Amino acid sequence: MAGLELKALHKTYGQVPVIKGVDLSVSHGEFVVFVGPSGCGKSTLLRMIAGLEDITSGELWIGDRLCNAVEPRDRGIAMVFQSYALYPHMTVYDNVGFGLKLARTDKAERDRKIRDAARILQMEHLLDRKPSQLSGGQRQRVAIGRAIVRQPEVFLFDEPLSNLDAALRVDMRMELAKLHQDLGSTMIYVTHDQVEAMTLADKIVVLNGGVVQQVGAPIDLYQRPANLFVAGFIGSPKMNFAEVSVQSINGGMVTVASKDISAVTVAADTKSLKVGDRLTLGVRPHHLSMDASGTLVGGVSLVERLGNETNVSLRLPSGATWLVVLDGDHNLRPAQALQLAIDAEKVVLFDAAGQSLLAAM
Amino acid sequence: MKLLRRYWLTALAILVSGVVFLIPFAFIIMMAFKDRKQAALLDFSWPQGLHLWDNVVEVVTTRNWMLLTAFINSSILTVASVTLLVVFAAMVGFVLQRRKAKWNGLVEFLILAGLMIPPAIVPTIWLLQGLGLFGKLHGLVLVEIAYGLPFSILLYRAFIATIPRDLDEAAIIDGARPFDVFFRVILPLLWPVTVTNIVVQSVAVFNDFTNPLYYLPGNQNATVQLTLYNFQSQFNSSYNLLFTNIALITIPPLIVFLFFNRQIVAGMTAGAVKG
Repeated sequence: MAGLELKALHKTYGQVPVIKGVDLSVSHGEFVVFVGPSGCGKSTLLRMIAGLEDITSGELWIGDRLCNAVEPRDRGIAMVFQSYALYPHMTVYDNVGFGLKLARTDKAERDRKIRDAARILQMEHLLDRKPSQLSGGQRQRVAIGRAIVRQPEVFLFDEPLSNLDAALRVDMRMELAKLHQDLGSTMIYVTHDQVEAMTLADKIVVLNGGVVQQVGAPIDLYQRPANLFVAGFIGSPKMNFAEVSVQSINGGMVTVASKDISAVTVAADTKSLKVGDRLTLGVRPHHLSMDASGTLVGGVSLVERLGNETNVSLRLPSGATWLVVLDGDHNLRPAQALQLAIDAEKVVLFDAAGQSLLAAM
Repeated sequence: MKLLRRYWLTALAILVSGVVFLIPFAFIIMMAFKDRKQAALLDFSWPQGLHLWDNVVEVVTTRNWMLLTAFINSSILTVASVTLLVVFAAMVGFVLQRRKAKWNGLVEFLILAGLMIPPAIVPTIWLLQGLGLFGKLHGLVLVEIAYGLPFSILLYRAFIATIPRDLDEAAIIDGARPFDVFFRVILPLLWPVTVTNIVVQSVAVFNDFTNPLYYLPGNQNATVQLTLYNFQSQFNSSYNLLFTNIALITIPPLIVFLFFNRQIVAGMTAGAVKG
């Protein structure tokens, strides 16, 4: 039974700060996903939890133990690497049992644990092979098996699926979700693939530049992003943004407009707003629909017809390009003018500092 | 004619390597078959009569079976030096490649210095005497290790750079202590370069003439290369015995080469990471 508590965690390489104060608490059995662009520090944070990187300052609690200075082997963790990192000179059986051998586990006990792990992962027929004789997916299975036999409190995954091909990735993703259900352990998972993040996570941690941008359930992050970065990073295709100015404020409602958008009235936290303020409006491509009385007009520049939906790249009068996803199939021609309505309930406004102005729920 | 034009360079290469490598060897073998009189002519001629067995018996029994003592000494020297060389060089290479510390520059300078600066004999003897190791086999083992270390470290370090660091980290997470990481994970993966090191260094140590001459005086301490002096002097050389001796002491390095050349050492790291 172990949760995880990160308190003001910092990491600097020489003078360069990489992790700039991360506070996070993870309760037992949670599946937490760290996402962020390359170089945002998500892997570094994971390696700090694993004990592969020193913690410059701050506290790391695993369960009820302060683990800053605890050796990786005593932290009750197991880690799966992006490159699998299987020992090439050992068979699968020895690879999985290596940790037990080092811990001087009795031979019969070791054998039982290895075979249990192999059964859970359905790789009993692979035990006598060497890693070089396995496919990518099988190697990944062995790497996970090596983590399972340690019976860790916390599993750490460092982009475990990014070396697999697309179809296999989907399969392994489901297997990981199933494994989490079966084992019920705490899992921390690093990825830059937001589909993995959205589907696997109980809780997503969005990182950028070594700072936590937002922590929350996947759907909260999608619907109520805390700032411009999260709004742009979560969701695919990306959210559309436009510079707008405040036209009028009426209680909890604010009306905004710009060169491209005639007027939209949105519910928002209006406390600090006044008429004339410049804001950023964000709306997802799915929340635009064709409407002859719509507030947005643009010229079609590119059309992708997928059958169930149509992706349209729209050129707005100001020169900005928006992406629109329309339900169903539409036979649109390039250069055709398109009038669209914005679903005002789904619109998010951001202030000049990039923080969202969502009304409190 | 066309064939000649196409392959003349190949033929020439084969011919040159034959002259360079095989003819001296043939000369040694033929001399070993000759009697003393014919051998003294030092010519490339067919032996008259077979005197190999007489020569061998005489070479082996000379000076109270000195060649046997020499073989034992040389074997101990070679095995001990090369074993320690491999272990130490691999360890230094591992630490040097994996851990970036402020010492690294200094250590690399020392390694390079070890390769470039010629060994100073007299101070070394003085040091060995001070340590009570002069004229002792284990003293010479240390000298051979010191001389061989820089080259072996360079070989190892370059190879360790190709082993992904993820493997070390996976082992650490699995609970390996530094010695476990090295001996159970890294060292087995170094096998290809270890073979290279064993072959190169054991031939060098076994064939070493000058270091035993300087640091290991005394008949009881002779190594195989020093037994050559038994049959060679300013006024009187028994060339038939000298070359028989050469033929005998060439056999062990030859075996090492033949044995390890057959080892297939490729592909050890295949499958460590996505390939």
